Amino acid sequence: MRITRFWAAILLGIPLIYLVVFFVTPLCMVLADSFSNKAGELTFENYATVLGDIYYWEVLGYTLWLALVTCVATLLLGYPLAYYLTLVERRAFVKRLCFILILMPLFTSSIVRSFGWLVLLGREGLINDGLLMLGIIGRPLRLLSTQTAIIVGMIYVMLPFMVLAIASVLQNLNPSLREAARDLGASAFSTFLRVTLPLSVPGIVAGTLIVFTLSISSYVTPRIMSGGRSVVSSMLIYDQFLLVFNPFLGSAIAVVLLVTCFVLIIAYTLILERKPVRS
Amino acid sequence: MGGLFEKLGDRAGILALSLLAWAVLVFLILPLFVVIAISFTTTEFLAFPPVGFTLRWYQRFLADPSYVDSILLSARLAFGSTLIGFLLGVPAALALKRSTMPGINFLASLFLSPLILPAIIIGVGVLQITTALDFPRSFAAMLAGHVVIILPYIVRTTLASLEGFDASLEEAARDLGASGLVTFLHVTLPTIKPGIIAGCLFGLIMSWIDVEVSIFNTVIATSPIPVKVFNYVQYSVDPMIAAVSAGTIYIAFIFVFLLDRLVGLEKVTGRK
Repeated sequence: MRITRFWAAILLGIPLIYLVVFFVTPLCMVLADSFSNKAGELTFENYATVLGDIYYWEVLGYTLWLALVTCVATLLLGYPLAYYLTLVERRAFVKRLCFILILMPLFTSSIVRSFGWLVLLGREGLINDGLLMLGIIGRPLRLLSTQTAIIVGMIYVMLPFMVLAIASVLQNLNPSLREAARDLGASAFSTFLRVTLPLSVPGIVAGTLIVFTLSISSYVTPRIMSGGRSVVSSMLIYDQFLLVFNPFLGSAIAVVLLVTCFVLIIAYTLILERKPVRS
Repeated sequence: MGGLFEKLGDRAGILALSLLAWAVLVFLILPLFVVIAISFTTTEFLAFPPVGFTLRWYQRFLADPSYVDSILLSARLAFGSTLIGFLLGVPAALALKRSTMPGINFLASLFLSPLILPAIIIGVGVLQITTALDFPRSFAAMLAGHVVIILPYIVRTTLASLEGFDASLEEAARDLGASGLVTFLHVTLPTIKPGIIAGCLFGLIMSWIDVEVSIFNTVIATSPIPVKVFNYVQYSVDPMIAAVSAGTIYIAFIFVFLLDRLVGLEKVTGRK
């Protein structure tokens, strides 16, 4: 049933006004602030600071590196789980249990999840105790506030998004394509490589995109897991707004982060479009 | 013979895959399990495995009005923002799906764009606009921000449920003399209800676990529970904060249960 423009305007009007006031305008204000200073003058000094200081480049580089590592690791861990969940496991109650195990962390605040890792990675945490007991290490490792801790924390927080994105594509694949490949004599592995994997590319793309954008802006996990030792862009934004009270510089950092993120996403989708995957 | 080896190879492959998948599932649940376990320890410090069993830490946090207030604040925020999100998102999704207005695709991506925008930038932006409108760092400011982050979830699931909708059902109702409103209430709404419920559950949970938007728009004295835990954990960790954290995990479980009962867990990965 089509609706007339009149009704569309009525239904969309208020939600649209809301988004303009509390979403579009705030973004424009952040953009405007990034070109402003305390005196309210138009200036490029914030960008001169952000782009002229090697420190900000290092932080941005580290933020992107962390997001990339998280993307790759969640893909490598998430794909087998998504495959198992959708194409291997047939028992309904096991599937349901898997979904519960995937959704529980997704529905828990990143702060609570990071807290769990603080306990696991502590000097006398489960990981150190386990490694000691197995005789792999002689004395407890320092795991907290290390790169390992940050990466493990990030992978942990992002993994459910990757699994769900890939699973939703695998679930809707036509099973007869796999059966045809098997009937024609392909092994399970080559069926996967030549049929399932190429067809699941949209899920991989969706998963990596969401994990990348969420990683690049995550604040809680890097802060808790690094103990303040490693700095990502979102921490700089937080500090400028809430500790240093320089929203102008903070806005410039936010805009640089946002633009970088968009450029990378556009480049990523363009590369994928140039090599179309037959489906 | 070749076939036999191949079959064995396939089985070994499936077994390896299943083991890997379960290792990942254990990885996913382990930290939550640990938090719950240590919340029962009788020691004054975090101990895993926990020593003994006590509910003392739960009693302590429930006796602390500041934690109870935080939880109530979070609950009010979650329900308030989801209600507003529902009232804005469902009509918007209907119009986005059904209208042929020029620019409707652009509007659809506008409604979904808060999903891909860094939450921290939305948090900062909401701080700026609410400062300009003279209600910074308040319940209303957080509410405004939470609606922005949960609206796309409600719009998206409602759109998805309209996607598979059989338009001839509505035509039949209209042909039989039902008015537009009656058709909507008795034909359209029941069909898209699972999508709306799923969207609202996601909205509730996204508001309940949010730190990034709240942290810019709250005052330390009265902050939602994730922000309160965050501020605490940065400086010290003890079994009481484990009990508070475990409490939020129990609530996550209730949400998973509701999602299963009302929508079905498999639907989470169903249609986009």
